[in-house]
Amino acid sequence: MTPAAGAPVVRARGVTVARGGAEVVRDADLEVAAGEVVVLLGPNGAGKSTLLAAIAGLLPLAGGTIERRGRVAAALQAPALANRTAAANVEAALAWWGVPRAQRAERARAALRTIGARGLADRPARTLSGGEARRVHLARALALEADALLLDEPFAGLDAPTRADLLYDAASALRDARRATLVVVHDRAEAWALADRVMVMLDGRIASSGTPASVFGDPPSPQVAAFVGFVGRLEEPHAVRLFRPQDVTLDPDGPLRARVTRLVPTEDGVRVEVALDAGHLVALVPVPGPRLGEEVRVRLLGGVRFARDRVERA
Amino acid sequence: MEFIWDGLKQAVDLLAHGDHDILVVVETTLQVAFWSTILALALGLPAGLALGLGRFRGRRVGLAVANSGMGLPPVVVGLVVALLLFRGAPLGELNLLYTLKGVIVAQTLLALPLVAALTAAAVQAVPTGLLEQARAFGASRAQVAGLALREARVGVLAATIAAMGSAFAEVGAVVLVGGNIEGETQTLASAVLVRVSAGDYGRAIALGTILLGLIMILAAGLTFAQQHERRGPLGRAS
Repeated sequence: MTPAAGAPVVRARGVTVARGGAEVVRDADLEVAAGEVVVLLGPNGAGKSTLLAAIAGLLPLAGGTIERRGRVAAALQAPALANRTAAANVEAALAWWGVPRAQRAERARAALRTIGARGLADRPARTLSGGEARRVHLARALALEADALLLDEPFAGLDAPTRADLLYDAASALRDARRATLVVVHDRAEAWALADRVMVMLDGRIASSGTPASVFGDPPSPQVAAFVGFVGRLEEPHAVRLFRPQDVTLDPDGPLRARVTRLVPTEDGVRVEVALDAGHLVALVPVPGPRLGEEVRVRLLGGVRFARDRVERA
Repeated sequence: MEFIWDGLKQAVDLLAHGDHDILVVVETTLQVAFWSTILALALGLPAGLALGLGRFRGRRVGLAVANSGMGLPPVVVGLVVALLLFRGAPLGELNLLYTLKGVIVAQTLLALPLVAALTAAAVQAVPTGLLEQARAFGASRAQVAGLALREARVGVLAATIAAMGSAFAEVGAVVLVGGNIEGETQTLASAVLVRVSAGDYGRAIALGTILLGLIMILAAGLTFAQQHERRGPLGRAS
C-alpha cells in the first residue's frame, strides 16, 4: 500500500553503524515523510553515505532501529551502468525491482524523459559522458516508483554547468507527493535547490535539522555555523558572533572600522577579508573592490551569537 | 615432408568420401566435447560465481584449488577416475569404465577447474559498484549472478573455449577411462595416438588435420561471439 502524503515512510531511531570496528554513525534520528525531500548534508567523512546505506538495508546496524513503510530503493554514489543501452539499463533495474516485462519499456522511456534523458535511450552506456551517465542513473532510480528513494551524491564528480543542469532537472523530477526522498549532498547550493528539510551531519551525528532557511540562517551550534558558511567572527565580552559573507557589507557610513587583509576575485565580484580589533570578517563586494591594506568601514546585517564557552568547546 | 602432404590429401579423401570409421570417431569426439563442456559449464559457472563473488570462509582456498586444477595432469585424473570406476571400487557399480559416459565424466573433471577458475577471475573484474547497485534496486541473488555473468561474458566465453579445447585435445584420461575402443570410446586425439603407435603416419596426420580443423572452426565461432560481445551487444534487459 502506498503511504499517504505526509505519513512517515522511513523512520530511523538512535541508529548507530560501525565500519571496520569504528562507529561511523552515532545515535542518528531521522524521518522522511511521503511527498517530502530531505537533504542530508555534511562534509566528507561525516557518515552520510553510511547512514543512507543503513537505511537502505545494505549495512547492518550496531544499534537503534529503522522502520520502513513500503519499498525503499537506493541509488548509490557511483553511476555504475551495465554494458548495454541506457534504456536497457533502466529496464534491467525495473526487472530487479520486480516490474512485469510488459511494463518495463514504457516506464523506462518515461523515466528517461522525466529527467531530460530521452535522447540517450538508445545510446550504449559506455559512450555516455559523466553527466549523461548520472542522468541515466537517476532515471532508473525514478523509474522504480519506490515508496522511499535514497540518492547518494547524485551530482558528484560533474563539472559546474553539467551539475547545474542536472540539479535543476532533478529538483523538479524529485517532487512527488507519493514518494519520500532522502538525498545526500555536500554542497549547500544543492541543498537549497532540492530540500524541504535539511539535516546537517557532522562527525557521525545529526547536528541540525530544519528548513534550509533555518538551518543555514540560524544554525543551532558553532560547529554547524562553521560548516554552513559562517566564516566571520567577532569577539564580545561573554559571547562570539559568527557571520556569513552576506551578513557583512562595506559601507562608508558603517559603524565598524576594519583593514583589508586579503582579496580573492570570484565569479560575482571580490571576496574581501577584513581584520577588526574584535576579530575578522568576510564580505563579497562588486569589482573592483577595495585595495589590500585599505581602511574600510563595515556594517553588519545579521549573524548568530553563541556563548563563548560553547564556541571554545567546539 | 612428402608424407605430411600425403597425410593432408588422405584427410581430404577420407572426409570427401565420408569414411565410416572417421565419421564415427568425429561423432564420438564431438559428443565428448559437447557433453563435457556443457557439464563443466553447468557445474563450473556456479562454482566460479561463488568463488569470485561469494563471501564465505574457505573462498581463497577454493580459488587456489580451482587455479591449481587448471594444471591437472590428464593422465593422473584418468588414473584416479579409472581406479574409482574399477569393479569393486567405490564407483564401480556405475559401470562407467570403458564407456563413453565414463570418458565424458573424466573430461568434465578436467574442464571443471578451467571453467570455475576463469569464471571466478572474470566476474571479479566486474565493477563491484554495479552489483551493489543491483542489490540496492532489489535484485535477487540469482539476478545479481546473472548480471555478473552477463557483464563478464567475454571471460566466460574464454572459459568455454578453454573447456572445449581441452575436451578435443585430451588423450590420457580418455585412454585410461575409455580404453580407446574403436567405434565406442575412441576420439580423434586418441585415434591419432593409436595410428602413430602403429606407424600409420598418413592416417595419423589425416586424423590430426581433421581434429585441428574442428577445433579451429568451433574456437573461431566462439571467438567471433566473444569479440562481438566485447564490442557490446545492445540488448534489452534480461
